[in-house]
Amino acid sequence: MRTALAITAVELRRFLKDRSNIFFVFVFPLLLVLFIGAQFGGASGGRVAVSGVDGDLRAALVTALEADDVTITVVSEDEARELVARGRADVGVVVPDEAAAAYAAGGDVAVPLVVGSGAQSQATAQRVQSALDALALDQGQVAALTSAGLTPESARQALAAADTVVQPARMEITNVSEIAQEFAGLGQFDYGAASQVLLFVFLISLAGSTTLIQSRRLGATRRMLAAPVTTGQAVVGQALGRLAIAATQGAYIMAASSLLFGVDWGNLALAFLVVVVFGLVAAGAAMVLGSLVDNDAAAGGVGVGVGLVLGALGGAMYPIELFPDTLRTVAHATPHAWAAEALAEVQRHGGGLVDILPELGVLLGFAAVLLLIGAWTLRRSLARAI
Amino acid sequence: MRQLLVMTASDLRQHVRDKSVIIFAVLVPLALMYVFNLTFGSMDSLELEPIDVAVSAPADDDLAASVVDTLAGLDALQVNLTQTDEDEARQLVRDGEVALAVVVPEGFTETITSGREAVVDVVEGETAGIEAQVVETVVQTVLDRVNAGTRAATAGVLTSAGPVDPAAVAQEAVRLAPAFTTTEGEASAEQLSFSASLVAGQAGLFLLFTVGFGVLGLLTEREQGTLARLRSMPMTPGLIVAAKALTAYTLGVVATGVLLTIGSLFFDVGFGSLPAVAVLVLSVVAAGVSLVFVVARIARTAEQAQIAQSILAMVLGMSAGAFFPIVAGGLLGTILDLNPIAAFMRGLGITSGGGGLADIGAPVAVMLGFAVLATLASRLVPDRGAAA
Repeated sequence: MRTALAITAVELRRFLKDRSNIFFVFVFPLLLVLFIGAQFGGASGGRVAVSGVDGDLRAALVTALEADDVTITVVSEDEARELVARGRADVGVVVPDEAAAAYAAGGDVAVPLVVGSGAQSQATAQRVQSALDALALDQGQVAALTSAGLTPESARQALAAADTVVQPARMEITNVSEIAQEFAGLGQFDYGAASQVLLFVFLISLAGSTTLIQSRRLGATRRMLAAPVTTGQAVVGQALGRLAIAATQGAYIMAASSLLFGVDWGNLALAFLVVVVFGLVAAGAAMVLGSLVDNDAAAGGVGVGVGLVLGALGGAMYPIELFPDTLRTVAHATPHAWAAEALAEVQRHGGGLVDILPELGVLLGFAAVLLLIGAWTLRRSLARAI
Repeated sequence: MRQLLVMTASDLRQHVRDKSVIIFAVLVPLALMYVFNLTFGSMDSLELEPIDVAVSAPADDDLAASVVDTLAGLDALQVNLTQTDEDEARQLVRDGEVALAVVVPEGFTETITSGREAVVDVVEGETAGIEAQVVETVVQTVLDRVNAGTRAATAGVLTSAGPVDPAAVAQEAVRLAPAFTTTEGEASAEQLSFSASLVAGQAGLFLLFTVGFGVLGLLTEREQGTLARLRSMPMTPGLIVAAKALTAYTLGVVATGVLLTIGSLFFDVGFGSLPAVAVLVLSVVAAGVSLVFVVARIARTAEQAQIAQSILAMVLGMSAGAFFPIVAGGLLGTILDLNPIAAFMRGLGITSGGGGLADIGAPVAVMLGFAVLATLASRLVPDRGAAA
């Protein structure tokens, strides 16, 4: 066992000393967490380019949207379309002449919207609709008062006075579990951090398969076996080495995202347990890749490709909850989906060990299969000349 | 000239045999395009499942009844309503029998008409998902209408201009409210569809990896000693670098062409006028190749160069929207506009909207300007590898 652990220690030291890892292991994951949080977390209300005829409707709409934390730019109609096409605005609003006239006359208004394909664009479009709804209700109130005999100005004054007296009815949303209630507002960066931990642990582990290939190619492995080290110890050492690297990567991202972005991991020990078990799966995959492929550049390519594809399928880039049914079933063929579910349980619902046992069981199953295959292929590769 | 072509041909042959180029240049981007299209593309086709809701509303209460009736009569979402009392409703959602419980308090209408705050409790259960959010939006809309009625009625009472029937005013306020709807506006012809922007973005991102293979071979050869031997040959030394540039350029153009073609076939997108697209491809590859030369000068070893190249590729590709469309404005937006990959995608947007050679001036200028600046930089920056 000590021999195996010595090999593990060497692998870990190699990983930490390699300066080329500084960006991809330490900086890039956090950049992605920041990036995804900024795009999908939606701290602000989005950007809207408003165009069309200058009048009451446009002014009222702009005021309503700005009150809802939306960034407004007023431009020409063509510019609005272009801004949306180039990704400089989420939504483009065109206030046509008929709409402005209808607004003044108190009639129905139809406002064309051009919605971009940014992550927040749909939500921003919803805000525009909500702003329009509020304006419509406002018109209704004024119309009701004028038909009861008031002038429009006195109607508005009366409505302003009513605001000071009336307390509007409201809705209060709570969640069943008290702990879930605390976590109900998913922090802006929480989703990004959880998904990036999984993506990067897997990617870096697969990338680590190249060091395994290099060891084999440079003859280091063969020299190691010439020492009093059994093949079994070498294989266990390698597997534990991959696991150590995966666990270090996971721990780093969890700690850094927690400190820098205030990400809440729920029960830290449980979250780390999920990441470590997922790391076992990644270690197995890395061993399989490192033993089957002989060219480290090709392995690098395959590793990045497989890592990104599995990550995307497993919900690392886009929440699984929003996948269509068939795709969600397919997603559960990846270990990422199971690990993400376990992390969501711990992070968002305050789940305990019992709650995540099914997911952990599946992950251990993945790990067992991959480690066994990896061990077998590694043993065979050690006998193979490169 | 012949020497240049011979060196280029041998380099190209070597790269094609080396599977890593084919994997990175073609296979991985195609796989990613496919998967991203599957996952992100499903954003539009959200399927809403039926939802079980327990509602508790006081009997003989008009406004409470309007909440219940609205929930029962939804078209877009199937709501399985269970009407019961408050304790039972809360128990049902706690037990997980229903996804959502809506509790309308006793004396709802009376509280509202007297101007006091009425609170509708909505309790989300374990299984509450997107459908629950839709129900919550609906409840909020009902409350907004009720509030509009109350506000108008109160205004009517407060006004000094004579007696007004509050109930009538409240009803009229909602009835007279016009319908303010949004319609689907005509998008700019330049707006790339989601699938098209994925194809273009992935092609642009992996282009930077592909040209890297070509140019960074220079560094590997220096380390292996073959570069010194090549320099001792009876030919202009500049031809060696030119051959590497030509190799990278050829690889880049072919790979991007293949990706755009296959991508447009698989995902049923069109990029428009072939000559214009060709000019865009040639420009973006030029920008990419020149960028790699800067990296090759600054890096000390082949491995360092590879890492730096990958970093640049990821940063430029992601900020251009290769993985998901980016929306940014102001200063950040201006910086993003200078990204050659972003310019490439913008150019493709213009051509897919029917633009021709005359219309792609701006993006081509950005890409070629980038290429010129980067080439200058690679000449002026000290060659750190040569000193090593």
